[in-house]
Amino acid sequence: MNVSVNWLKQYVDFDLSPEELADRLMMLGIEVESINRLGEGLDRVIVGKINVVREHPRANKLVLCDVDVGSDTALQIVCGAPNARAGLLAPVALVGTELPSGVTVGTAEIRGEESQGMLCSESELNISDEASGLMELPVNLQAGMPLVEALGLDDVTMELEITPNRPDCLSIIGVAREINVITGNSLRLPQSKVQESSTDVRDLTSVAIEAPDLCPRYAARLIRGVKIASSPTWLQHRLEAIGMGPINNVVDVTNFVLMEYGHPLHAFDYHRLAENRIVVRRVNTGEILKTLDEEERLLTFDMLVIADAEKPVALAGVMGGFDSEITNQTVDVLLESAYFHPSSIRKTSKTLGMHTEASHRFERGVDPESVIPAINRAAQLIAEIAGGEVSAGIIDVYPGKRGPARIVLRPERVNFVLGTEITSHQIREILTRLGFTVSDDFEVTVPTFRPDVEREIDLIEEIARVYGYDNIPIALPQGTLPTPRVDSKWMLREQVKTYLLDCGMMEAINYSFYHPDVFDRIRLDVDDPLRGALQIRNPLVEDFSTMRTTLIPSMLENAKRNANHQVNDVQLFEIAKVFIPSAPAESVETKGEFPNELERVAGIITGSVGTDVYGDPQRPADFFDIKGIVEGLLDVCGISGEIINQTEHPTFHPGRSAEIRVSGQKICVLGEIHPEVIERYDLPNKAYLFELDFEELLEVSNLNNEFEPISIYPSVNRDLAIVLDAEIPSSRPTNVIKSVAGKYVNSIRLFDLYTGEQVPDGKKSLAYAIEYHSNTQTLTDEIVDQVHERIVRTLESELDAELRS
Amino acid sequence: MQKQLNQIETEALESLENVENLAELESLRVKYFGRKGTFTALMRGMGKLSEEERPIIGKLANTVRTRLTEAFDGLSETLTQQERQQKLALEKIDITLPGRRPMIGKKHPVTQSLERIQEIFRGMGFQIAEGPEIEHEYYNFDALNTPQDHPARDLHDTLYITDSLLLRTHTSPVQVRIMEKQKPPVRIIVPGKAYRRDYDISHTPMFHQVEGLLVDYRVTFSELKGVLHSFARQMFGEGTRVRFRPHFFPFTEPSVEVDISCTVCNGKGCRTCSWTGWLEILGAGSVDPNVFSYVDYDPNQVTGFAFGMGVDRIAMLRFGIPDLRMIFENDMRFLRQF
Repeated sequence: MNVSVNWLKQYVDFDLSPEELADRLMMLGIEVESINRLGEGLDRVIVGKINVVREHPRANKLVLCDVDVGSDTALQIVCGAPNARAGLLAPVALVGTELPSGVTVGTAEIRGEESQGMLCSESELNISDEASGLMELPVNLQAGMPLVEALGLDDVTMELEITPNRPDCLSIIGVAREINVITGNSLRLPQSKVQESSTDVRDLTSVAIEAPDLCPRYAARLIRGVKIASSPTWLQHRLEAIGMGPINNVVDVTNFVLMEYGHPLHAFDYHRLAENRIVVRRVNTGEILKTLDEEERLLTFDMLVIADAEKPVALAGVMGGFDSEITNQTVDVLLESAYFHPSSIRKTSKTLGMHTEASHRFERGVDPESVIPAINRAAQLIAEIAGGEVSAGIIDVYPGKRGPARIVLRPERVNFVLGTEITSHQIREILTRLGFTVSDDFEVTVPTFRPDVEREIDLIEEIARVYGYDNIPIALPQGTLPTPRVDSKWMLREQVKTYLLDCGMMEAINYSFYHPDVFDRIRLDVDDPLRGALQIRNPLVEDFSTMRTTLIPSMLENAKRNANHQVNDVQLFEIAKVFIPSAPAESVETKGEFPNELERVAGIITGSVGTDVYGDPQRPADFFDIKGIVEGLLDVCGISGEIINQTEHPTFHPGRSAEIRVSGQKICVLGEIHPEVIERYDLPNKAYLFELDFEELLEVSNLNNEFEPISIYPSVNRDLAIVLDAEIPSSRPTNVIKSVAGKYVNSIRLFDLYTGEQVPDGKKSLAYAIEYHSNTQTLTDEIVDQVHERIVRTLESELDAELRS
Repeated sequence: MQKQLNQIETEALESLENVENLAELESLRVKYFGRKGTFTALMRGMGKLSEEERPIIGKLANTVRTRLTEAFDGLSETLTQQERQQKLALEKIDITLPGRRPMIGKKHPVTQSLERIQEIFRGMGFQIAEGPEIEHEYYNFDALNTPQDHPARDLHDTLYITDSLLLRTHTSPVQVRIMEKQKPPVRIIVPGKAYRRDYDISHTPMFHQVEGLLVDYRVTFSELKGVLHSFARQMFGEGTRVRFRPHFFPFTEPSVEVDISCTVCNGKGCRTCSWTGWLEILGAGSVDPNVFSYVDYDPNQVTGFAFGMGVDRIAMLRFGIPDLRMIFENDMRFLRQF
């Protein structure tokens, strides 16, 4: 909402700079988004009239103009604009003017001819972008007049942010009322005196409201014999200042009153109304209306229209109809001023996607009692400006009349809610200043322009904002503290996060949605349940349209984004929710059931690991990096999982991926990403990922570590190297060692894996460091030798392994 | 023999003068005191001496031995020190070579800010609550006093899944869910993701919010000011000034927007604060009585206040991040900075 300071001053006196005014309004709840000084930098620009245009003797694209600037002698100004001609009125920047561009106009010789100023285009004066020629001023202006005065630019406008609860402030008078609350000077409302003819309006037209639930009030007046023309300058300037283009005198008056009172009006061409009458009704099936913007609108049943005897002529409270609009041929004008039901207007405007100055106000609630002042103001102005005579009387159909709201206020409640000590006297004074009437026992009558004030708490808010939030004391809460709860999910999440950070992975946060094509890119089968993702109905773009069912594509996308910037070594993790429809996606629609929001943990390693500074060489990441991270993660969560080969997940390399099960339940998938997926994401290196089901993890985790006694007996270390079939997984010899050594083994560490020379084809060499110990005795060499020997023999017999010397 | 002893002493002391290292010293020690050393040999001859001579010579021998041992030990100490110094000098390294840093992960800047906010409110007795991100419009709007066909719904550009299910536009619905389950007093904060249909330099379709709610049998607007004032000072520094401006939110009344003095220019005016000296950080207000009636609290018995803040925006201010969209790109070069 734009307001002009000059316009505001028509209704209220104030002696505040625009910045001061903005500050004061802000502390009342109206934020000023910008302050715009219209004539800024134009104070040395005046109206000039080109008397004579002569050729420039030395330049054929330039001319010499003798320009009348209201003084005795004309100025000679060199000009290159194509529209420079004798008789044209154009702005002249006098010598010494600093233009908005920062250039100062000086006396100059241009190709040997003196130029005593500068004729300007609109863009040079920062009035508009128009730069093709000189700005053409209206011919009735006086040469020498300051341009700001001629164009009404000696004004300051302010862009206000009006919150949805304050429709009254969508008007100049409404904002003036708020200023009046600050200054306490009395408000001057326009007093309309309509000169009426002797013909009664009721003899010429009629209004019937067939939908009183949607239209509680409709008033009409008739002005006959108008002459449609341009508006007078003062009116044009008022509208232009707040950003509305002038159209013609009648329409401009309705717009003026719209902005002045915040009450939308509409003017019909009386003769374009069938039977010259108005019917306010719901839409009949299949009706179409061509609105002012020349769009054909198919109307639906519950919309409210203004119709004539035959057809809709306006979309009530939203936009007029094209066929009944005011044209240059219009002679008789039927003026509408009405009150429509806010939610009906909102529905219509939403359904048709039409948001207008009128709908904006009606859907927030205009003042039903301003229907008459507004129509009178407009009728008087039209008669003054466009001529014509106003027929006698107003047709005012008011089936929905309701008295003003009355609210009982408890002054002690005000202080109870606010924590203040405002006196009853102050309360009464504040409410009175706001236009409320307060009885002796604090029954408060709410002015009809404040539809937002319905309850005691609304009055308390009014008191608070006028009293000043700054004046409300600061205190800390006194009350009792609620019983604290233990949030085990929160604790586990923190544990997992801390662990992954300790692994050197950066925490990522991705959007909860992605492009639907990610499922193809990660090679999901056509019937994979993860494809049944929830779709956003009105996404901004397709990239943000599909709710995540797995975090894997986000991780790959992050790697790709980094690779695009030559960052090839990526180690990221994310903990976030995926969204799984509770029923198949299509039936969610009908049932409105909540989907399952399940937390997942995912991580990616790609490129090299290590810092690659001197002394810490890098090596390419591999499967065992991601496996180690996941193993460690399970460990800090107090669980041990069983790792098994998996070949099912289509995103992963079938020979280099695994899943982890805890008590038979699959909890995590991990491994190398399938080369085809790598190609589709255009990644420069292999990538290793895991995705873990956090909800399952929560079920099985155990964060209560219990102390185990530390053995006081020394341990004995023995190495063991064996050669066996390359096909045998290394977990098997490990398990043999574990089972044979039993309670005597403390740790088994594989420190070497070797194939190649010295090892026969199809074989591999594994080397283990075994730590023997006992909690109850010092192990003697004899005991260790015995156990070690048994291990060797079992490996030989069960795995056909050979001891390597 | 006396003469021999004196000669050994003189000779040994002279030799010591020329010793340059511990090895030479050791061979010299062997020469005199080793099994075949001259001093040792001389001592073996002690038995041949007469009863009268023996104590005299013995005393002298002891004196010589003590003097020589002292001289040997002294030199040994000196040489040891010298050799250690030489060794240390040789072991000198170039300490300007790069240190071997462990690879550590870092929390996302939003998480860091979120944790700081949580810590502050936990210190004031608030507990953490969570709720679904896909929400029913009842919780997101209706029960927060924002009925269908109310213009206040325009304040949020909402992303819909179905007619009634939507991506929550704030974490405020959790207030309603908690009040449905719990009787006063309630003192919670609700961190989490929220969604709106926006995308530009200062808006992303997903963002993080912390909602707060305090309800009890007597809570005033003064206490709202107190809590948020304290929060702003703890979050942005002791010298932070706080401004409370009237505003409108459907589910609070009176409502307020809270500004802090610009963290960049300290209120003088700069680009970050659009030359106003102030930065808006949160919205708040006393809980609207209508909200209480949705959860069967008696508005005449209880009062309270709620507040909500954008965590991403606070992270932007805290770290000087110029474009909100960078926060969700997960560029390693970005994440490593914080």
